Amino acid sequence: MIEPLRIAFDVECSPDHAFETWTSKATAWWPAEHTMSHERGARIVFEPRVGGRIFERTADGHEMEWGEIVEWDPPRRLRYLWHIATEPENATDVSIDFHLAPRGTRIEIEHGGWERLGEIGQVWRDANQAGWDGVLPSYTEAARTRGA
Amino acid sequence: MKAKKKIGDPLEALGNPYRREIVQLLSARPRSVQEIADHLPISRPAVSRHLSVLGRAGLVSDEQVGTRRLYRLERRYLTRVWSDVATRFKLFAENTTRRTR
Repeated sequence: MIEPLRIAFDVECSPDHAFETWTSKATAWWPAEHTMSHERGARIVFEPRVGGRIFERTADGHEMEWGEIVEWDPPRRLRYLWHIATEPENATDVSIDFHLAPRGTRIEIEHGGWERLGEIGQVWRDANQAGWDGVLPSYTEAARTRGA
Repeated sequence: MKAKKKIGDPLEALGNPYRREIVQLLSARPRSVQEIADHLPISRPAVSRHLSVLGRAGLVSDEQVGTRRLYRLERRYLTRVWSDVATRFKLFAENTTRRTR
């Protein structure tokens, strides 16, 4: 197994609000440059159930699938197969845990399943690891600055 | 019909065995086209073409160092995606919640 990438950060709101924001408000906050169409105004939909699709619908009605929900446990945990950059059969796994924390919610994201990409998986994962290690300190810093 | 991403797709770029070898060579240190070509059974122009695909996908960047152009691994693609996603999510969630303090 190839070690997943992990990221964790705190958000000052309840787990209920965090889960709801992630799954039903993504259109409002998901960065347009990381959608498939790169279009502002594209709708992003998480169908709220196991087996539900995650997809993007552009203003002209074109739908592009991002993945499929495999765990739906509001407001604690969400897991989905993710194929925004691959074919569906090579989907990677994303799990997001929403934990009650002293100042709100601690969000833990794990992105794994790299072995499904075959030979590419290890190279791809390694190519991202070094930058990834730097993510957490910058969040801690941002959270501290905002909280001050 | 399935829509493709407009810019180079990093995983698609890694679908070629020479490009995977190039990424592995660059993971040790930055190298010139000639140095990469020395390790592979393909020509310098072929190496350049592969580097250009990797560059469009955001996996490799280059810079002029003295008389040489060096190619290096851009280790930040997924990091950029997830940190942008987390930052935007955090701002939006915090701005739309009722403060309890």
